[in-house]
Amino acid sequence: MVMRISENMKFNTIVESMFKSQDNYNKLSEQVGSLKKLNKPSDDPIGMNKVLNLRESKASIKQYTRNIEGSESWLTITESKLMAVSDILLKAREVAVAQGTGTSSEVTRSSEAATIQQLTDELLSLANTKYGGSYLFSGTKSKDISFSSSIRPSAETGAPDVADENTFDGTVASSGDYTGIANKTYVVKIIDSGVLGAATYQVSSEGGKAGSWSATGTVPANGQISLGEGMNMTFTAGLSDLTSDDIFYLNAKTAGNYNGNGGELTIDIGEGTSFAYSISGEAVFTNKGEGEVDIFNVLNKLKGALENNEPDIIRTCIDEIKSSADQITKNISKCGTKKNRLELAKSNLTDLDMNYTELISNTEDADMAEVITGLAMKEAALQASYATASKIGNLTILDFLR
Amino acid sequence: MSGVNALNIAKDALFSHQTAINLTGTNIANANTEGYTRQRPIFNNLDQSVEIGKIERVYDKFLENQINEQMHHLGYGEAKRDELSRIEMIFNEADGGGINEALNQFWSAWEDLSANPAGQAEKQALVSISQSLTAMFRSYSNEIISIQDNVNAQIPYLVDEVNNHASDIADINTSIIKAGKNAVNETGINSLKDQRANLLSDMARVIDFHYIENSDDSISVFLSNGMPLVEGEQVWELDVVTENHSSNPSFYDVILKDDADKEVINSIINNGSLAGFLGVRDTVAQSYLERLNTIASTLVTQINAQHKLGYDMNKNLGGDFFDSTKTLAKNIEVSSVILSDINKIAVSETVNGDGGNASRLGSIKDELLMDNGHSTINNYYASIVGSIGQDVEDVNRDFDRQTSLMTQLANRKEGVSGVSIDEEMMNLIRFQTGYNAAAKFFSTSDELINTLMNLVN
Repeated sequence: MVMRISENMKFNTIVESMFKSQDNYNKLSEQVGSLKKLNKPSDDPIGMNKVLNLRESKASIKQYTRNIEGSESWLTITESKLMAVSDILLKAREVAVAQGTGTSSEVTRSSEAATIQQLTDELLSLANTKYGGSYLFSGTKSKDISFSSSIRPSAETGAPDVADENTFDGTVASSGDYTGIANKTYVVKIIDSGVLGAATYQVSSEGGKAGSWSATGTVPANGQISLGEGMNMTFTAGLSDLTSDDIFYLNAKTAGNYNGNGGELTIDIGEGTSFAYSISGEAVFTNKGEGEVDIFNVLNKLKGALENNEPDIIRTCIDEIKSSADQITKNISKCGTKKNRLELAKSNLTDLDMNYTELISNTEDADMAEVITGLAMKEAALQASYATASKIGNLTILDFLR
Repeated sequence: MSGVNALNIAKDALFSHQTAINLTGTNIANANTEGYTRQRPIFNNLDQSVEIGKIERVYDKFLENQINEQMHHLGYGEAKRDELSRIEMIFNEADGGGINEALNQFWSAWEDLSANPAGQAEKQALVSISQSLTAMFRSYSNEIISIQDNVNAQIPYLVDEVNNHASDIADINTSIIKAGKNAVNETGINSLKDQRANLLSDMARVIDFHYIENSDDSISVFLSNGMPLVEGEQVWELDVVTENHSSNPSFYDVILKDDADKEVINSIINNGSLAGFLGVRDTVAQSYLERLNTIASTLVTQINAQHKLGYDMNKNLGGDFFDSTKTLAKNIEVSSVILSDINKIAVSETVNGDGGNASRLGSIKDELLMDNGHSTINNYYASIVGSIGQDVEDVNRDFDRQTSLMTQLANRKEGVSGVSIDEEMMNLIRFQTGYNAAAKFFSTSDELINTLMNLVN
């Protein structure tokens, strides 16, 4: 049976096809305008999800690259300071070689002692170099000056200090001789509040780092707790009791003039990749931790021998200066290794960044050639439906009845 | 067989054709009237004469049913599409600048701080990006809530609309019953039926129902579970109540007005715009809100937990970074302690002022904290945006399909019930010819009678 075509149908059909053509046309012109095929999440939900994740990866890469660049500057400065230290040691060695021979006299030796003092001063200033508000060679205690000019003859326990917001207002003192082999920061944290004899505490010898805490102990009634390595901390009650999360700390130092610690500053250079970019003063200038020679001590010994006119000791210093120079060279090459590692990481990140940029572009950018061709096609369709619409009124039997 | 009888036949033929021509006029006049059903005269052979036995309203009952059915889908799809695209606009991160970017900046700020633990500028930057991030969470959440509120506000209106339509249908039923089966003015009854069909189809857009035609030509309308809405002349109205809803006491629930127990019947409304709005409010918007809340609370808990393991510049153990009493997307906030003193940020891992804790805080971005340990916070957020996009795409596709189905059905209905001018013109010619012939028959009969009369004279 032939379908009846009513008036409404004729017009509805044409209006609808016009709407459809216009909608298609508009969608494409939106893409031409924004140069993107992804203008809202529903345009490509999976693509949108992908783009957001890629953008996050790109932001991380940007941050890692920034971290790397900061560390590179740090290492460049460290390297140049260590070069300068090498020069100082070279000069000191020349002095030792010249003054270790029989041709030198007490007079020349005592005058060269002053040279060594100057070199020691220079060394101290190099070892205390600051970069961006942090001391290059203080380990992770980068806010503390790395080396003091006076040398501690023996280990020091150091006076205890308290956190600003401690509730406990009694006094705290330290006692005992530090027997440790490297500089450390001891932290006491109060776990359960209470009076002396009731409060409990934990001790950390790693500056209070999470995971470094000892087992919980009870503060005895006499207030004295043992920190370990020969040291004690003694609390004397005040008005307010020891309170949970009160923090007490002290810096235990070995003999010598180093104030920092053996830690290394770290930065993230990739997901889950932490990179130690600093070299501690302990490893560079002391005989503690990774270090083998106490360079300040060597120069002091040389200076003493020159002042006291002791050619034998001066000659033993030559070897020690040599070992000192080796220690510096070793650390310079460590800087180089670290810089290479950073360089490599950075170039990987740059490649990755380019890949991500391309992936994002593939997902969200419109292919102009395709869009424009499509637009021309939709335009033709739109024109056709306009043409049909303009004819529709002409076709009726009325035109054929007089 | 008398000559007078012939005159009567001629009269009936003239009347019948006049009625048919008038009806053609009515059809032509209503060619563009929405919901008008074309009518056609049924000529009945009456003994030797003719009459218009019935003026038929040409329609297909099954098609009407199908169209109403389709209207439910269309109303549902339209409501859902409109509200979903509003939600999509909130989460549109195609050009960046949303929560995704703020999160990235937030993580970067921690890394920057870890590189320079004492830096006041870095701390300030961290605090301000944290504030923008939390503000964004709050505004996204508030926008979703305001969509829920807007949708909610429409529900009583829709229920009113259903009630009005139902009572109008009942009124028309009354008129039709009163006119009786063999109504004198059949075109009048037909136009009432047109009106009633229009009311049904309007109501079908709002709520899903089925209906039956009773023997007295009235109709009864039933909800999906068989509860009556209209039974002949009787109406059972719907109503709304508040204070009942599980997620928000100001949300309206639909009940039957006469139900003493005020049992909520949201669940039997499965289609139409009312169902669409209820679904957006209770399921779609609510689920996005909950997912946003999950991110906010994870962020607060994780950042705070790590923050408390570190030390600030003054060697104090860290406190809360985000206000731990506000863990929802709508109220997440940086702790007032941090806002009043940026040196309370626990940057360090030890009391020595290092940046270790900031670095650990920044690394939370890589931890698989969401989806039972399958995705990071950023991944999870991206998946929310993706799933909104997917929902919108689905509902759009569905709506397009429903619309084109509707167009086909509407065309089929037009094919049966719509007026075709061409057809009416042909009918006009046909009825005119019939009329002319009847007139000719009349004058011929008249002449015959005259001839007879003259014979008598």
